[in-house]
Amino acid sequence: MKWGNDLSTFVEKFRQYLKPGYYDEFDYHWTMTIDLDRCTGCEACVVACQAENNLPIVGEKRYAQNREIKWIRIERYWEGEYPDVKMGFIPMLCQHCDAAPCEIACPVFATYHNQDGLNTQIYNRCIGTRTCAVYCPYEVRYFNWFTYTWDEPLEQQLNPDVTVREKGVMEKCTFCIQRIRLAKDNAKDDDRRRVRDGEVVPACVQSCPTEAMAFGDSNDPEAKVSKMMKNPRGYTVLEELNTTPSIVYLKKAHAES
Amino acid sequence: MFDHGQPSYAEVNKDILSVMLETGPRYWMLLGTTMSVAVIFFFMPWFYQLIVGVGAAGMSRNAYWGTYLSNFIFWIGLSHSGTLLSAILHITNSPWRKSVYRSAEAMTLFSLMTAALFVMVHLGRVWFVHWSFPIPNQMGLWPNFRSPLMFDVMAITTYLTASSIFIYMGSVPDFAAVRDASTGTRRRLYTIFSFGWRGTAREWHTLGWAYTFFAVFVIPLAVSVHSIVSWDFALSIVPGLHHTIFAPYFVCGAIYSGTAGIVTVMYCLRKFLNFERYIGQVHLDNLGKLLLALSLIWSYINMLELFSSWYGGSSFELEALKFKLTGFYAPLYWEMILFCAFVPLLMFFRKFRWSWNKMLLISILINIGMLTERFIIVATSQPRKFLPNAFGFYFPSWIEISITIGSFAIFATMFLIFIKWVPAISIYEVKETLKPLRRDA
Amino acid sequence: MQFIGAGSLGVAGGVLYGESVQKDVELLIPQVVPPEDYSPGVASWYNTVCNQCSAGCGISVRIREGKAKKIEGNPVHPVSQGRLCARGQAGLNVLYNPDRIRSPLQNATSRESGSFTEISWDEALTTIGSRIGRLRIEGNASRVRLLTGSTRGGLDELFAQFMSLLGSDHYQQYDFTDPGALRAANRIAFGMDQLPHYDIKHADYLLSFGADYLATWLSPVHYSLAYGHLRQGRDGQRGRTVQIEPRMSLSGAAADEWIAARPGTEGLLALGLAHELLRAGSYTGSDRDEWASALQPYSPAMVAAETDVSVDTIVRIAREFAESTASLAIAGGATAAGTNAVASVVAVNALNYLAGNLNQPGGIFFNPDPAFSAAAGSRQVGMQGMLDLAEAMEAGDVEVLIVHDSNPVHALPENVRFRQAMENVPLVVALSSFHDETTDMADLILPTNTYLESWGDDVPDPGVGFPVASISQPVVAPLYDTLPVGDIVLALARRIGGELPIRMPWGTMEEFIKARWRDEYDGRTAGLEGQDFDAFWQASLEAGVWGQPGIVAGDPSMPSSAAMIAALANPVSEFAGDESDYPFVLHPYLTATFLDGRGANLPWLQELPDPMTSVVYGSWAELNPATAEDLGIREGDVLEVETPAGSVSVPALIFPALRPGVVAMPIGQGHTAYGRYARNRGANPMDLVSMQIDDRSGDLAWAATRARVRNTGERLQIIKTDGVTRTLGRQILGPKNDHA
Repeated sequence: MKWGNDLSTFVEKFRQYLKPGYYDEFDYHWTMTIDLDRCTGCEACVVACQAENNLPIVGEKRYAQNREIKWIRIERYWEGEYPDVKMGFIPMLCQHCDAAPCEIACPVFATYHNQDGLNTQIYNRCIGTRTCAVYCPYEVRYFNWFTYTWDEPLEQQLNPDVTVREKGVMEKCTFCIQRIRLAKDNAKDDDRRRVRDGEVVPACVQSCPTEAMAFGDSNDPEAKVSKMMKNPRGYTVLEELNTTPSIVYLKKAHAES
Repeated sequence: MFDHGQPSYAEVNKDILSVMLETGPRYWMLLGTTMSVAVIFFFMPWFYQLIVGVGAAGMSRNAYWGTYLSNFIFWIGLSHSGTLLSAILHITNSPWRKSVYRSAEAMTLFSLMTAALFVMVHLGRVWFVHWSFPIPNQMGLWPNFRSPLMFDVMAITTYLTASSIFIYMGSVPDFAAVRDASTGTRRRLYTIFSFGWRGTAREWHTLGWAYTFFAVFVIPLAVSVHSIVSWDFALSIVPGLHHTIFAPYFVCGAIYSGTAGIVTVMYCLRKFLNFERYIGQVHLDNLGKLLLALSLIWSYINMLELFSSWYGGSSFELEALKFKLTGFYAPLYWEMILFCAFVPLLMFFRKFRWSWNKMLLISILINIGMLTERFIIVATSQPRKFLPNAFGFYFPSWIEISITIGSFAIFATMFLIFIKWVPAISIYEVKETLKPLRRDA
Repeated sequence: MQFIGAGSLGVAGGVLYGESVQKDVELLIPQVVPPEDYSPGVASWYNTVCNQCSAGCGISVRIREGKAKKIEGNPVHPVSQGRLCARGQAGLNVLYNPDRIRSPLQNATSRESGSFTEISWDEALTTIGSRIGRLRIEGNASRVRLLTGSTRGGLDELFAQFMSLLGSDHYQQYDFTDPGALRAANRIAFGMDQLPHYDIKHADYLLSFGADYLATWLSPVHYSLAYGHLRQGRDGQRGRTVQIEPRMSLSGAAADEWIAARPGTEGLLALGLAHELLRAGSYTGSDRDEWASALQPYSPAMVAAETDVSVDTIVRIAREFAESTASLAIAGGATAAGTNAVASVVAVNALNYLAGNLNQPGGIFFNPDPAFSAAAGSRQVGMQGMLDLAEAMEAGDVEVLIVHDSNPVHALPENVRFRQAMENVPLVVALSSFHDETTDMADLILPTNTYLESWGDDVPDPGVGFPVASISQPVVAPLYDTLPVGDIVLALARRIGGELPIRMPWGTMEEFIKARWRDEYDGRTAGLEGQDFDAFWQASLEAGVWGQPGIVAGDPSMPSSAAMIAALANPVSEFAGDESDYPFVLHPYLTATFLDGRGANLPWLQELPDPMTSVVYGSWAELNPATAEDLGIREGDVLEVETPAGSVSVPALIFPALRPGVVAMPIGQGHTAYGRYARNRGANPMDLVSMQIDDRSGDLAWAATRARVRNTGERLQIIKTDGVTRTLGRQILGPKNDHA
């Protein structure tokens, strides 16, 4: 056994972590902004996500049991009563919290924070305790209650870049990590150290017909998201829980009258 | 101490061992029944669930934890009185413990096992459950020690190990007694079980201090186990679960339901195994007083929980509270309050404490209440979290209900097997309580 | 295998557990010889045109290993600009739908039986070709009828040529979503057949009369983009939107102000606004007096009484509309589906005219001549033609009916009796990819390629202010034994013989499209210098679109006030059914998910929560909360909704943003066929719509029926994702203190 070796590497690594500026070397902090003043609740993002990430078609019965899987969903909130009634939409997806409540929950490290600031989920590692989903205040984690199948030949559509999940596994929004990877690979091929702003576009952001969503690296002060985040309308959902989400919403503006 | 006159040493041996040595058809029928119920109600649905997925249960996006987890907590709770009580009473030198503790400890063991089964049933991919143990693996990955579930794994395995050793250690002299009273294979088997116990003064001395040491060791362990189980909930930020009071609340509730469980088991032992001579009024009375005290503590903590939710005043907590007190499951909540807070008050009256039948009823009601309590914890908090748009509802499926019923059969089966293998009452410690016989008597 | 099975029975039990865990065997594709048309692991994108509604968005389809994986908007296409709606993205479900027709089918016994037997293409085409050929020779070609959806571009021209060469002028188009009233009103007001370009993007103040421009009206993706820009695209300037409709649509939810005028009086409200606008003196045109006298009757007080919108609101909105630098009024939805549809839309046009919104940024631009000249031959569009067709079929005047991309059996009101009329047609041929209600009535089904497997071209309508044409190309090889619609038409032409094969010499649709584009190339010179046709074709094909942004419409002929003024009358819709018998107004509406029902067979859309209600899988009838409370109706109570035309049973849904006295129902569900995802799901509100027509456009007035509701006492679970739809004081939609 090389316990000794393991220990010394561990100590070495730990020392590295303590070095000031160590974390600055991690280049990216993927962030999304969603402008609720642009969002119309059309749900184009929902289908885009379903197509990109191989989300199952669960069927009517299982939908009735609330077993649907939608990594991004639109929440609806009414305000007031007829005739002064208003509707507010808010797209809800994994917030990729920096202080994620779900991450402490998993006993097997199936969910953890990666170096890009993403809250990742490793399907193969998951044993299905579902603790992460209970802990998640945004309720954006979805569980494979069954092994879902596709009616032939719908399975031909499945995205080969994304795993198809089996029963007993938790899943959630990944910020389209496969697209992030592709962009990083492309950057590497082009001998670029960094991915350009706008090079990574998750499926939901890409599809949004009102351009309500923006995605990018908030460590880059010139990135579109960094500028959007400075908007005075910006806020994070359930701020009081101090989860420090990576999604900044821009509040719906009201007409001045 | 003894309701029907003091037995002699030989009578003690005979009374207690006869349960093990003589087996009638009624036993086999009972065992057969419990085993079939366990298979039909527990293992077959579970197997079905393994094939189709956890979706066979009623859980959904609104409640990722369901009856399986609430049952897990219930069984862990039930396990709490046995070893803990036995250890505390051992240290405090309460003589009435001696005819009760063996069965109580067995209860601990079997409830823990049943509880562990529920973890298996709960998991989405139970075939990978070993990943939650710190086993060196090819993935080079350790479990997440920040996870309360990881604490659970540690706490429960430790508790299970400690309880097993504790009950075994206390049984060694009795195994020797079985060995001496039997012949053939059984004798050879119990020779091994008893580690060659001869009953020398040195052996008694060693057993004495080792046992006391373990008793001291087990007490904090037991307290920690249910505290840790409560952290599964309390470490989440879910309204209705995120309470600092949860650890003492769970520990108290656990001992409470465990003690009530002991009363039930005592009743059965006394009734069906003819232990009237050894389990008498004094035990019942003492257990009754203990239960009463626990019920008062439990009620107090319960009020505290409600109060802190209300006093906190956050929309999240208030909504969860409202749902608990007035929502769909409100009848269950008030049933729990009735059974666990009000019914036990009857034990203020000696009339109730001294009646086996009344105490049986109260003890069963308490455990029904405690089972409900655990269910309410999972069923009312998760569907009312932070985003109202994701509010929902949880109702257990038939599979879950069936497995819940089956778990009682599993427990009963294990207990029935236990009474044939281990003296259900500690022979040597009962003897210690006998008044020394005078030659002239 | 057998000996292993017998010998290891015991092992099998042990393995069973493991089997249950990993059932699906994953097969690796053996690729010793690399495929020539793609590189494994590398995605390629092909540009083509979306066919999920009539907007004509350009799309890019991602192909991996010869399979279509994802549809996104074509970034260089001026309509979609890289964006796409839910329906467009669900196009993959059309391609890979498990219920697609995979080979030519012949009706086995009777039409009602719905059972079909497979036949060969040759046999099918010969059967049809010889029959039509005989009719042509006999001089009875007019007994051949063609019915299609809103077919445009090359396919439309091919159909038109086919029919005119055949000698039948009965080429009918019917699309429920076709804005017939809008076209008619624009013809009256602006003398334009083409739809104009509504410049929502640069508007400050958008007044929408029933037009759900964010979900279903004309070109939703384009308008959504424009809406985003209107709201937050300009620094320090946020456009306002006001929506007038009895039931809040997606656009209503997005609007700053939602006004539920009395159904059918939206046109009157527009006149009231025009009156007020004129009175305030912001219009200074030379025809001011004519307008003033025409609008004289529509005083705010009178309009307020009729429309149930307060005088204050009318005055205020008129003022805001007039004062905004770039205001725009649009009309659609139920406003353009009453018996007064054209009058209402003309009134809205008048509002634009009076506010000076024509040819202004943020107003209405007229589109220049389309890239392709109008196709030869004639075609009828709209409801009147359908009634004529049904009548002709009923009378036995139709011998061959060819149906393509149209589902009148589902989309027409029951009392048109289209299904029954089809019984009288000896040969019904369906060119279709799916067994929808109309296809199931056919004698012969010729399975078509989906749009993702077909050649074609398209000129988006409404356009974007400059000439644009798109090419659609097959992005994957055909999955089954199917043919592109164009190829079927050409093959039929060859079999019919006579003049047809000579005048339609193209072997395939691809050849036809290329020839068409060559003609277009030859006819144009500007902007194409130094580019030979092949380069032009290649570039257009790669881009999926060709356009000339520099070119705008010539000086528009100024709209005729006289024509508009003449068309203003009759601003209130007449409803079928007596108010005392039928106290509610039935408000059917197009949904963002299924549109008129064509999307109902796509599982992604069935599983997509309806944007306003979050309901999936099924239909419902909406009631105002107060109304529901009065009637003792809760969500999930099955209601019998009855109109003079019929009745359906449908669960109730309480909808906060619905005018009392209106019962709203989504269009799109209630299919009796159309595949596993659509069949027997919910109710079809078209079964409730009384057959009424707006004479001026000849279009169906589908929003002019009264209804009554009765609680049947049964209950049916409405499946929806919403839990509680109130924030309960939680700051989910943003902090309470207003920064903006």
